[in-house]
Amino acid sequence: MSTPSSKSPSDLQRLGGIFTKALLGIAIVLFGLEFFIHRHGVVSAEESFMFPALYGFLAFLFIVQVGKWLRLMIMRKEDYYD
Amino acid sequence: MISHMPPGLIMILAAFLLPVIPHVWRQIYMLGAIALSAYGLFLGAGTHFVWTMLGLDLILYQADALSLPFAIIFHLAAALNVIYSWHDRDWQQHCASLSYAGAAIAALHAGDLVSLFVWWEATAVTSVFLILASGTERARKAAMRYLLFQVTSGVLLLAGAAILASTSGDIRFTKMDLGDTATWLIFIAFGIKAAFPFLNGWLQDAYPEATPTGTVALSAFTTKLAIYALARSFPGTDILIWIGAAMTALPVFFAVIENDLRRVLAFSLNNQLGFMVVAVGIGTELALNGAVAHAFVHIIYKALLFMSMGAVLHQVGTIKASELGGLYKKMPFTMVCCIIGAMSISAFPLFSGFVAKSLTMSALGDAGIIWAYFVLLFASAGVLEHSGIKIPYFAFFAHDSKIETGEAPIGMRVAMGIAAFLCVGIGVFPSLLYSILPYAVDYHPYDAGHVTSQMQLLIFAMLAFVVLVRLKLYPPEIPSVVLNSDWFYRRLAPMVGLPLLRMVMLVWSGLLQQIRGLVNAIWDRLDRIMHSPLAGPTVSGRAVLVQAGLLTLLLLIAYAAAG
Repeated sequence: MSTPSSKSPSDLQRLGGIFTKALLGIAIVLFGLEFFIHRHGVVSAEESFMFPALYGFLAFLFIVQVGKWLRLMIMRKEDYYD
Repeated sequence: MISHMPPGLIMILAAFLLPVIPHVWRQIYMLGAIALSAYGLFLGAGTHFVWTMLGLDLILYQADALSLPFAIIFHLAAALNVIYSWHDRDWQQHCASLSYAGAAIAALHAGDLVSLFVWWEATAVTSVFLILASGTERARKAAMRYLLFQVTSGVLLLAGAAILASTSGDIRFTKMDLGDTATWLIFIAFGIKAAFPFLNGWLQDAYPEATPTGTVALSAFTTKLAIYALARSFPGTDILIWIGAAMTALPVFFAVIENDLRRVLAFSLNNQLGFMVVAVGIGTELALNGAVAHAFVHIIYKALLFMSMGAVLHQVGTIKASELGGLYKKMPFTMVCCIIGAMSISAFPLFSGFVAKSLTMSALGDAGIIWAYFVLLFASAGVLEHSGIKIPYFAFFAHDSKIETGEAPIGMRVAMGIAAFLCVGIGVFPSLLYSILPYAVDYHPYDAGHVTSQMQLLIFAMLAFVVLVRLKLYPPEIPSVVLNSDWFYRRLAPMVGLPLLRMVMLVWSGLLQQIRGLVNAIWDRLDRIMHSPLAGPTVSGRAVLVQAGLLTLLLLIAYAAAG
């Protein structure tokens, strides 16, 4: 992503594109399966429609966001302890 | 006779000969020593070697269903480490790692707390050389801090054992009820090595400072020995569920922003230990199976991840995310192995993490501890973030760092290949793993509902990553240090302690000055008296005066005694 032009995407960008499409493909399959497979949950809420997907998605966003806030508090220069 | 020797001890003894054996033969010799030690496991369950000393029965070789899976994986990890460091001609490191693995294996077979203490400390003093071997001042300081924590853990263990010996006389290394001073001391001793919250600083501080091969060895033994000790002594101790849950969740946030990829793995290691600690805290048969299975597969995939990062460090000379990227073309084999390790730790179906973690999650559900279940589910998304995505992404993809390099030495690749093979093998055939767990297992991880639940969690979390990267909201890697619990003793303690110390010294020197003034004044007065005596001859010199005084005192005491 450092030197690509919009006309000729770099190998990394191409890989990123393939990866995203594959993920979306699997996500759609999982969405479809949700109509056929009964998932057992520890609590009833866990059995609600696409619950693990939502939980995973939100948990990920939350972790990254808290990480960003944490940076403001506990990130120091590399030579902090030297 | 050799089969009755405690497993592991033979590895420690074998390590003494390493300096005189030439390179390559040395590696073969080490594999032989590990095989010989593993041969001792065939003796099976029971007490095989007891040494009576100073009235204590030291049980040096005791085996049961709990020690066996740990013993198998410790031997395997030791062998993998020998293969991984095949290129390394530094005999000191081989000496350290072989005796370190040996001490950890011997500790698994200790049947009493005193024997455990001996091996517990032996793991500390052998492993510290793996950190020192880096040869930098930074590593030396980290090694000293590491040693301080490890030895403290041993001293607490010994103190607990001593109290038990003097009160009940029972020092067997067995199940205990947390309550009195002795059991608390032992609990904290185990907690230090298991990297409980706020006792964990040494792990993230020291492990990433070791050599590329040293960190692989370190990642396997000390912490899992602590998990074994907790599983043996404190299964079903409720507080462990709280401690473990905190361990799974907290390191996740630190790992997001850490720049050193081996330190990210150290945070990840801490998070994984949390899963095992929770399982020990639940204490049911299913949960303890979960803890042991998790420790077993974790040692392999964590070693694989550390091996892949060690390979990058060995080839490139840095492991900072901000300096790496785009290595997938230069080190494709390492990249594939790293991704297999990443998928295993993230618990993708068909990988080893899935079949192990499922046991713990099911045990939590069965026990009805819902809050912990959701914390661990959240932590699972965290594992995916730092170990599943961040590690391979920043090392092998992200952006083209234009680094020119090639694949790591053949030994490193073979070891990574074996570990990757095991990650997939155990994931596809979990019955192999289940057959060596402490309790009989009737568990089937691959039911449709369970697999789709896990896939939904992982795939949509990955989609969140893609969204963040595409919107440029994912935090970029910045050369930095992330403060951890070691800050308390590396910065806060000196900040508070040094002024305090200075104040104490100031008061002390002031006091000394006062006393010196007082003494001088007394002498001056005496001198004046001596030079102008009220009666009799002049006494010459202070020494004579002191002697006269002492003789008078002696005379008085003699009179008093005679009277």
